[in-house]
Amino acid sequence: MSRTVGIDLGTTNSLVAYVDPATGRPKCILGPHGSTLCPSVVSLDADGAIVVGEPARRRLLTQPDRSIYSVKRLMGRGLDDVHNELKLFPFRVDPESRQVIRVRLGDRVFTPPEISAFILRELKSWAEHFFNEPVDRAVITVPAYFNDAQRQATRDAGRLAGLEVLRLVNEPTAAALAYGLHEQQRGLVAVYDLGGGTFDISVLKLISTGQGDIYQVLSTNGDTHLGGDDMDNAMLAVARQELRSRFGRELDAQAEPLQELRKALSAAKHALSSEEKTAVRALLGEDLAYAREWTRAELESLLAPIVERTMGPVKQALADAHQKPQAIEEVVLVGGATRMPLVRRRVEEYFGRPPHTELNPDEVVALGAAVQADILEGGAPQRGMLLLDVTPLSLGIETMGGVVAQIIPRNSTIPASAQEMFTNSADNQTGIVIHVLQGERELARDNRSLAQFTLRVPPMPAGMARVEVKFLIDASGILQVEARDLRAGEKQSIEVQPSYGLSDSEIERMLEESIEFAEEDFAARQMIEARNEAESILTATEKALSSEAGAALDSEERASIEEAMDALRQAARGTDYKLARSAVEALNLATHHLAEAMMNQVLHVAVEGKKLSEV
Amino acid sequence: MNVTETTAATACWGCGAPAGGEHFCAACGKIQPLPRGTDYFRFFGLPRKLWIEMGDLEARFHALSWKLHPDNFVRSSAAEREMSLERSSQLNDAFRVLRDPVARVEYLLELEGVRKEGQTKQQAPPELLEEVFELNESLDELRAARAAHQAEQETAGLRRRLEEAASGFEARLEDVDRQLMAAAREWDVALDAENSAAGSAVLARINEILNRRSYLRNLVRGVTQELGEA
Repeated sequence: MSRTVGIDLGTTNSLVAYVDPATGRPKCILGPHGSTLCPSVVSLDADGAIVVGEPARRRLLTQPDRSIYSVKRLMGRGLDDVHNELKLFPFRVDPESRQVIRVRLGDRVFTPPEISAFILRELKSWAEHFFNEPVDRAVITVPAYFNDAQRQATRDAGRLAGLEVLRLVNEPTAAALAYGLHEQQRGLVAVYDLGGGTFDISVLKLISTGQGDIYQVLSTNGDTHLGGDDMDNAMLAVARQELRSRFGRELDAQAEPLQELRKALSAAKHALSSEEKTAVRALLGEDLAYAREWTRAELESLLAPIVERTMGPVKQALADAHQKPQAIEEVVLVGGATRMPLVRRRVEEYFGRPPHTELNPDEVVALGAAVQADILEGGAPQRGMLLLDVTPLSLGIETMGGVVAQIIPRNSTIPASAQEMFTNSADNQTGIVIHVLQGERELARDNRSLAQFTLRVPPMPAGMARVEVKFLIDASGILQVEARDLRAGEKQSIEVQPSYGLSDSEIERMLEESIEFAEEDFAARQMIEARNEAESILTATEKALSSEAGAALDSEERASIEEAMDALRQAARGTDYKLARSAVEALNLATHHLAEAMMNQVLHVAVEGKKLSEV
Repeated sequence: MNVTETTAATACWGCGAPAGGEHFCAACGKIQPLPRGTDYFRFFGLPRKLWIEMGDLEARFHALSWKLHPDNFVRSSAAEREMSLERSSQLNDAFRVLRDPVARVEYLLELEGVRKEGQTKQQAPPELLEEVFELNESLDELRAARAAHQAEQETAGLRRRLEEAASGFEARLEDVDRQLMAAAREWDVALDAENSAAGSAVLARINEILNRRSYLRNLVRGVTQELGEA
């Protein structure tokens, strides 16, 4: 029997977890780089091979035009939706993109679900390597505030990765499952989930019944474009302004130095969660570097408006749950960005109680996904746990004058359904057009278009046709539509072409194409990656040794670098990827001082030791 | 008993035993398809009474959720998964409607054929006509004042008048809610007594009360919104 795993497909990192049958506890699976986190980065090699995770993340710096990160931001979205993002992210969108965005990696074009599928395939291979057996079923988490198109895109990604997606689970709900198991919590719980690209808030009621615990979501709210990425962008804007005003230098949005700077700033952001100040140093070219100290106070005043943007959804979620902040008994923090003291303080201040941070905020969602996968394998009563989630957005249909008639209100427990009767408005009209929307606004044009389809009716006088349409939101939050002609008494199957999604035939074609990317043997692939990595670091080191800074090295240091290079060359010729990788690390360590020396030789070292206010 | 609800003849799709429209076959335990037209009260095993004890309803909701949720049918046949999806969505829809006292009344009216879905009259009740007229005049004045960018203190008197009017209508709304509760009890009594004539009369009255209620609610909401925007 194959296994079902839980996958957190994150904006920044993705993870795969399972429930250990021996202990009944969820656990994250370690990847080949010794971490449970797989960076959600995909890179296309010049020879056409796909690289995912840690090695791809390094390529963001060396081959930015062949690499992509944060693709989750593009899932289920059209070109118009992401117009603003494109100014901030180095996405190379194919100008021919229409309803589904297409992104360029090198000379090839992919849709966001295809890129996400590469990440899922990688995690699948981690799990298969770990269990030593095939894994083809998964529970995948999505932001609670994802709409239908974003959910469908995620499910499509699973399918393209060769996974049967048994369920999509909302990230904050998954976190609540993991925490509930860990803490045996009861009562009202709020989950505040600030990740790399999305923010969710969910209010749950944990109820003990004779058969086990029910996790009932009362309300959810959020912003699918608010997270750590936005914080990095705010920091990047400040740094670019500093470079501009001091040296009149502009960094190309597509190129390597900008990624180098982003990486350094992001690392500083992390450091400032535990330190009061930190030095940011980034080499941005032959004659340009960014180096200065950032303080936590400065970072907090820069990011406070971003954190404040989470409070609107928090208040709305509480109002929808008919609760006051004081009534919430437990507050749980999820997502890497909640490590920031600023976020913790704001949440504590609002709810008037310290939040729970016992579980690793990077892993807790994947752990919850594994718990849900285990429930699906065994059945809810057998596991003594049942999750009742809600739909985050109201479902409606367009009526006369472009007004939306709501048919399933937001925060309805799912599965949920609604039946509507339709008739012909003109004599002998043979088609009734139905436009389905998601959102809270009164006018159709202000909401998200999910699908448009035509009901077929035989010609008859106006008002005589009677077609009953059933709209059903399933347990994954995805819409299904079924129509029944009450006069003919027959069911009508409806081809619902999503407004912002892939059609079945497109998915079929992508599945066929994806065979060319079929996985090679896990260890062989790891070895190829390690070899590539070795090659690039060896080349860079050779270049550094022949530079001015290299010439100035004392003989002892030069010898130790050369020794590390020899060791790496030898390991790269072998077949043990772990050995090759540790040789890479050793060389990195040996050249640490050399790299610093090179940095110091750069002519323009930006704003060393100056505060923002003095720039 | 209502004749159209006779589903006792339905046989279990799995073992052929009579399944009687229940959630599961008593003989083999298989989940059963949802007969068309199953009403929300019946789904919960409740009579069509308007007084529902919340704790009891919630306990029934939880008990049925444990049994019907799609989580339990991932490894079942496609047909059974479909039945679970149908039944669990009906369960959630029914709970959403029945736990809300007003939605519950509206649903009963639809079920008993007293009103069609979503059909409410938006005419002003005759006894309110004069007050509504005055209210609309004040609202127009406020909008005109805002369009002319008048200072807040100049519209203060107007705003106070509107606030008073709104709280007057809110008091009426509470009164209407009390009438609704009383009428709901009458329906339950008529149902127990199997007095269908009395039942129909009560439902007709409830329909009128509901119309007045939705009219008043829109009125109060409109005023609050205008005052909030100023």
